[in-house]
Amino acid sequence: MNFKHKFVFLLPGLIVLIGILIFPIIFTVRLSLSGWNSYNPGLDFVGIKNYIRLFTDDPRFWQSFFRLSFLAITTVFLQYIIGFFLAHVVWKDIKFKRFFRVLFLIPMMTTPVIMTVIWRTFFHESLGPLNDFLSIFGIQPAWLSSPGLAKISIIVVEVWQWTSFMFLLLLAGLLSLPKEPFLAASIDGASPFKKFMYVTFPLMAPISIGAIIIRLIEASKIMDTVFVLTSGGPGTSTETSSFYIFIKGLREFQMGYAATMSFTYLIIMIISLTIIAKVLTKVLMKE
Amino acid sequence: MPKLYTFLKYFCVILWSCFVVAPFLWAISTSFKDFNSVTGGATYIPWLQFEPTLDGWSVLFKPGSQGGINIIGPYFNSIFVTFTASFISIVLGTLSAYALSRYTFKAGFVKNNDITFFFISQRIMPPVVLAIPFFLFLSTLGLLDSLAGLILVYIVLLMPIAVWIMVDFFNRVPKEIDETALIDGCNPFQAFFKVVLPNSIPGMIVAGLFCIIFGWIDFFFAFILTFTNVQLLPVKIVALNSSITPWWSLSAAALVSVAPLIVVAFVVERFLSKGNLSGALK
Amino acid sequence: MSLNLGNIIFKPTEQYHLNDITLNFEPGKMYTILGRTLSGKTTLLKTIAGLQTPDSGNIQFEGKDFLAIPVWERNVAMVYQQFINYPHLNVKQNIEFPLKQRKMDPDLIEKEVSDAIQKVGLKGFEVRKIQELSGGQQQRVALARSLAKKAKILLLDEPLVNLDYKLREGLREEFKKLFTGSEASQSIFIYASTDPLEAMQLNGDIIVIDEGKILQTGSAKEVFENPANAKVAEITNDPAMNLNKGKIENNKLIFNNDIQFDLPSNLQSIQTGDYLVGIRATDLYLDDKGFNFQVDISEISGSETFLHLHNQDIKCVATIEEVKSYEVDENVKINFDLSKIYLFKESGELLYSPYQ
Repeated sequence: MNFKHKFVFLLPGLIVLIGILIFPIIFTVRLSLSGWNSYNPGLDFVGIKNYIRLFTDDPRFWQSFFRLSFLAITTVFLQYIIGFFLAHVVWKDIKFKRFFRVLFLIPMMTTPVIMTVIWRTFFHESLGPLNDFLSIFGIQPAWLSSPGLAKISIIVVEVWQWTSFMFLLLLAGLLSLPKEPFLAASIDGASPFKKFMYVTFPLMAPISIGAIIIRLIEASKIMDTVFVLTSGGPGTSTETSSFYIFIKGLREFQMGYAATMSFTYLIIMIISLTIIAKVLTKVLMKE
Repeated sequence: MPKLYTFLKYFCVILWSCFVVAPFLWAISTSFKDFNSVTGGATYIPWLQFEPTLDGWSVLFKPGSQGGINIIGPYFNSIFVTFTASFISIVLGTLSAYALSRYTFKAGFVKNNDITFFFISQRIMPPVVLAIPFFLFLSTLGLLDSLAGLILVYIVLLMPIAVWIMVDFFNRVPKEIDETALIDGCNPFQAFFKVVLPNSIPGMIVAGLFCIIFGWIDFFFAFILTFTNVQLLPVKIVALNSSITPWWSLSAAALVSVAPLIVVAFVVERFLSKGNLSGALK
Repeated sequence: MSLNLGNIIFKPTEQYHLNDITLNFEPGKMYTILGRTLSGKTTLLKTIAGLQTPDSGNIQFEGKDFLAIPVWERNVAMVYQQFINYPHLNVKQNIEFPLKQRKMDPDLIEKEVSDAIQKVGLKGFEVRKIQELSGGQQQRVALARSLAKKAKILLLDEPLVNLDYKLREGLREEFKKLFTGSEASQSIFIYASTDPLEAMQLNGDIIVIDEGKILQTGSAKEVFENPANAKVAEITNDPAMNLNKGKIENNKLIFNNDIQFDLPSNLQSIQTGDYLVGIRATDLYLDDKGFNFQVDISEISGSETFLHLHNQDIKCVATIEEVKSYEVDENVKINFDLSKIYLFKESGELLYSPYQ
């Protein structure tokens, strides 16, 4: 079917998207080649000086990147395991199925920033309920003011917020599985554990991959949580790439350099996500 | 063994349920407190441990001039922006998704999957990357701090979602139905509107739900691109966080703002159980 | 009023889907396109419908250049093998759809629709939803929609292949009735199938296609009795015609050192040489005075048994007219009905057929 009609369908959306995007993207690239900062506003041209600085003189960027990878991978991993477990449990045989399903869906429907504001009060070291409870055991951890615990706080909030999304995708997947393989397994006398390992999990492979990739994409943008909960702190212990770019660009107004970081970050993300997608596909599809 | 498994199952489910509910309970309790109840240390149960007041709640509806935090304005702004942007995204996204599902495109080396990838890769962009250019872009157009400007930006955020869901959905509607419509005398547009679209309602609803969810929860773009004229809900609430607003109004405001989407949770669950969602999300 | 295809070539990938097709279709006739899976039948139908555009060639219909007319303006109808109907409409609306699209007079639409429903035997089902119907009923709705259109060209792509056996037989008979009425004299019916038996039952003109090329066209009887080459012989028989290398020498027909015949009278005029010898599975029979064959596979089908046999390098399939089970490697004695032998040149062309 090679009619001109196909363009009429495709183009409105594509043009609008490109139209709104093209300026920012080209501008970012152009900006990355300039030395725009607060002393020196304006689009001059400094060649690849910014890029050189990024790759040779800015360990903070790369640290933020590793921090981001750590946070993203940990949270997605936890979300996947917990999400799968929950989805599996409310799939079939449990009382009050629908109640639990709605309950477990709620976190992802809430605005992350707003919930994080509440979490901030929750984690408050002297007035928050968490430490109040833990004081029974004699410990009063400094959730938001010690580097390691700050990371954990972020992970807790992220897991609370987004396991729900993973849960949704996985439950939808489970509900769409054909019944026949399970019947066959029952007839063959398989235990629930075996059923899971040999029927459920393999059948869910493509959906698992999709869900993980989607969550990784979203998780790599962790910003709201960091912004509200810790502001990247204490120090830089929870500073993710996005946050660092934010500071450089919109707090210190080093726009040119921020653009360089943005562009580099984007390329790295696209490449890594493509690689991760391919690897996951190979690994999970083989089983 | 089975008994142990069942016990574990319920135990974990209840544990997680408590985890889910914890921040809400805390917020509800806090919203009824006043200065003393908060600063004296953590308190939980009203009447037993502290005197509840409605201060936190009443202040929400008073306009700023009377020392209140008006959230009604931002509320409606958020609704307007989210729904408009979602609507436009779904319309444009569905059209593009249909094209990507049914036709082959080949402009040099760029093929269908590449175009789809282009759409979806917009999600990879962290808001921060786009924020600065969008800031300048909108100010050149004079659309900073306006609803229209924000809607424009949200379309970039939400259209990829619509495209992702609808391409998948259309791929599962047999091409032969389109072909039959053509043979029956419809040109491609009529085939789309009269035959394919009526059968795509479930997919569009799913796309719609996701667009609304992701549009509603945005904070960053609203934060960067609006200031005083237009304020969205999340921004308003976070602004309260950094100023010296008391915890109780904060909690009340937070609860009010997340309430609507809880309704959405119900809708999504009903869809799930009916089986519509499962198809569309694969 | 005729449909003419000239030198149609369609090669979307490395292989030809349609390789220089030239065909003529006259109205009032039923044509069966017979070929194996992936031989190009569906592509051919879709090209006629306009859903696919050939790379080169021309199509003329009623004197006009068909290729210049987009799908929705060509007056064709198509029935698919996968029961395609509009899921969001009920039976009546489904059948009305093309007529409403054409903006026909509502009263006329009513009449045509009820006519069509009557013809396919679905009276009383008008307001039913498509999902509530069985496979056979759904296919009838698709058929009714095609008939109501009174299209000049009706294309059917293996329409019965997804139905059960009994239903298939019944509907096939109904097809024949529908397609030979007085109204039908205006239209061209093209029916694609992989089943030679079905092609024979429909008894129209057969077009044998393989790998995108037309191998033979002719009446059902003609194609059956005189297949133009060995490939056609394979395609038009189920089980495929047995083809083995054989020699004619010293007044004998020799297959191998075990299987030899005195040259029968009907083959006396054939020159000495190497040939491809064809014989149908039904023309082999159990005979105590026959040759020894070993059983490779024994298939029971309906009321017959198909025996896959070999004698050294000679392989063949024999149809036994009874249901009997045989063991693998069992020895059976088989003889050939020499009056039904076909001879093909080694390159495949038909040299001699028993019906000449």
